[in-house]
Amino acid sequence: MSAVMETAPTVVRAEPGRPWRAVTDLALFEARRLLTRIPVLFAFLVYVAWIVWRTPDSYDGYPALQDVDRATQGGPVLVGFAVLLSVNHAVLRAKRRDTERHFAVLVVQPWRRTAAHVLSVVPVAAVVASCVALQFTWEALKPGAVGRGSVGELLVGPLTVLLFGAAGVLLARLVASVAAAPLLIVFSLFLFTFVFSASSSSSGTEEDGTRWLYPMTIEVGGNAVPSDLLGRPAAWHALYLLALALTVGLLAVLLGGGLRIRTVQGALVGMLAVTVLGASAQMTGVPAATIAARERASATPQKEQTCVERDKSTYCAFPEWSPRAGTWADTVKRVQSLTGGTAHDQKLLVRQRIEVRYGLGSDSTLDPSATPHQVTVGTDWGGNRVPEFSVAVAGVLVTGDEKTATGDLCDGRMVTIMWLGLAGRPDPVGDLARVRLDDGTSGSSLVISPTEPLYMTGGQTSVVRQLLDQPRQTVAAKMTSHWAELTAPKVTTAQVARLLGVEAPKEADKCL
Amino acid sequence: MTPTVSASGLSLRYGGTRALDDVSLRLAPGVTGLLGPNGAGKTTLLRVLATALPADHGAFTVLGNDPGTARGRQDVRRALGYLPQTPGFHPDFTAFEFVDYVAILKELTDRTARHREVRRVLDEVDLTDVRGRRIKKLSGGMRQRVALAAALVGDPGFLVLDEPTVGLDPEQRMRFRELIAQAGEGRTVLLSTHQTEDVAMLCHRVLVMAGGRVRFDGTPAELTARAAGRVWSSAERAPAAKAGWRTGTGTFRNVGDPPPGAELLEPTLEDGYLLTLDGEGAQEVTAA
Repeated sequence: MSAVMETAPTVVRAEPGRPWRAVTDLALFEARRLLTRIPVLFAFLVYVAWIVWRTPDSYDGYPALQDVDRATQGGPVLVGFAVLLSVNHAVLRAKRRDTERHFAVLVVQPWRRTAAHVLSVVPVAAVVASCVALQFTWEALKPGAVGRGSVGELLVGPLTVLLFGAAGVLLARLVASVAAAPLLIVFSLFLFTFVFSASSSSSGTEEDGTRWLYPMTIEVGGNAVPSDLLGRPAAWHALYLLALALTVGLLAVLLGGGLRIRTVQGALVGMLAVTVLGASAQMTGVPAATIAARERASATPQKEQTCVERDKSTYCAFPEWSPRAGTWADTVKRVQSLTGGTAHDQKLLVRQRIEVRYGLGSDSTLDPSATPHQVTVGTDWGGNRVPEFSVAVAGVLVTGDEKTATGDLCDGRMVTIMWLGLAGRPDPVGDLARVRLDDGTSGSSLVISPTEPLYMTGGQTSVVRQLLDQPRQTVAAKMTSHWAELTAPKVTTAQVARLLGVEAPKEADKCL
Repeated sequence: MTPTVSASGLSLRYGGTRALDDVSLRLAPGVTGLLGPNGAGKTTLLRVLATALPADHGAFTVLGNDPGTARGRQDVRRALGYLPQTPGFHPDFTAFEFVDYVAILKELTDRTARHREVRRVLDEVDLTDVRGRRIKKLSGGMRQRVALAAALVGDPGFLVLDEPTVGLDPEQRMRFRELIAQAGEGRTVLLSTHQTEDVAMLCHRVLVMAGGRVRFDGTPAELTARAAGRVWSSAERAPAAKAGWRTGTGTFRNVGDPPPGAELLEPTLEDGYLLTLDGEGAQEVTAA
């Protein structure tokens, strides 16, 4: 026989003198609820789905991490709005459910409860930080990834969520209505869509420092540039956002009953000062040293680059892009393998070039190089950039230099260039459409290249299409045997067609 | 016995109305009933003692702590369990979450211990089986028990209950009386109620308030004794009675000064209460 002894459960009492422990406990309690609210769950679902959907194919597999870090800043805005809505709802809960009178006689004072609501956003921001880290790491692990990200840029997303959450708490302390938060969101979207877009001509440029006052700063256009030329005050902006979020949060605590609490008053003044400091520091514009470095990188890139030899050619790139030399060399090798004459063994200089003298957002094109056997490659790679580079390589192999291949070329050599550039590609006809400005495979069009575009007539397009439809080795053999005629200046498209055994166009060659 | 609560000269005005008028009292462990008509000042007194409302004049201490200072007020709140007249709930919270939330607001900061305490009080009010159910899915009686559990969490030395049995059916009211009696073991409970049966069954002491003043302070037996010889039966309503009503037998039960030769009846606590009010609350009964 056994006896069971029942003991009365031990009573647990409060532990005085640990008010901030209660605040953190309350913040964790509210955070758990916040993370299970439908708007927040929905926002996270959309955000994560966006990452999973977009990341595998983004940047055509060749991301520059200094662009990737900025691309992480958009998704969290949706989570931020959901947090603003939900945290506002949570703060107003006691008022809506009439528990305010009851809870007012409990030990944790209203201002500490407000502080807990502000702190409850931190775990949500931490989850967003994990999503940002996931997105960035995913891109960084791609074999074609180059460059380096900035911690400051990566923090913008989570800090935006923190700011929006603090704004939700403050709004609840200012307006005791749950309708206020949705209205604020609609107003923010309206402001963003209409007002900011309308003034994007000035707000998108580097001269306009006020653009840094918004949580997320969008830079319109522009290709990837070396990290040290960006001149973005990422650290200052992160500090500004953090201080602004804390200022808004402390203001909410102040209105939540902490008006006479010296610690809150002091912290608010301190955070306000840091916010102003962060705002002014990031609005000073691009540093003179960065402008000088941009000038050097644009005008004399050879002084800033490192070069490697691959096969017969030399590849010079800004240090962050050195790992890309192998992929460029593969393209050069593929084009060169189809050529004849001296072009087959021609030593090329592939030089990476950028144009950032007029700002990162400017869309100024690169001038084609007049240096013999030099091919320009940009900072972006993958996707359409590969056939564009391919065509540029073919242009230099056929004409001797970029300047001739782009501006002055209005004869049958264009057929040879286009076939050489595209024939070795997995989908040559598709690439033909991709490199043309009109996305078509008939008629005349401009052909995009890393520098200025090339021009192909409707007749040349027709001949190129016929050649691309034939077996590559058959055309390559003819190409090799007639190399001298095919690459001779002033050769007509009709002559080229006849030499390669396809139907000649009726129209004559013409220049653009 | 050392009083848990000691108040003297508490006064409070709402505009031109004296809600509290020089109220002094001393409360010791056990359940003390607070009776009075609507507008007598019961809820105001409870709110002042619960530190929800500051008095204009007077002072009080709870377990030796003076709520006149910020630190003292916090100490009073640490020792306090408060069940308001119409407790609000967060309907999306489960019973456990709601009591846990209140426990955090009472500075129970050790998570494991706090959860143990929440389970204890929910068990005490017999809600263990529904602790994971959302409050919006609980009955009125269960919600009231959730509110009581929230008041009991942290084992407060002073429990303030403002009309906790209002709106409960007889069975729920009986269950609640058991809980209050249990809660009164070893702690001071101040129970405001309109139900004289609650006081008769639960309280070792009773206060009667009217017009913001304490009109009676004694045991339930002493309050009942006030009506000894002043309750009688008659075939017709007695014009001199302060209150009178027809009973189920068809005769009138009258309270007041009986005429000579009247058939006297055994007084109840309610009779004593009506006579103490001396017309202020009796009018309501007469009108009814």
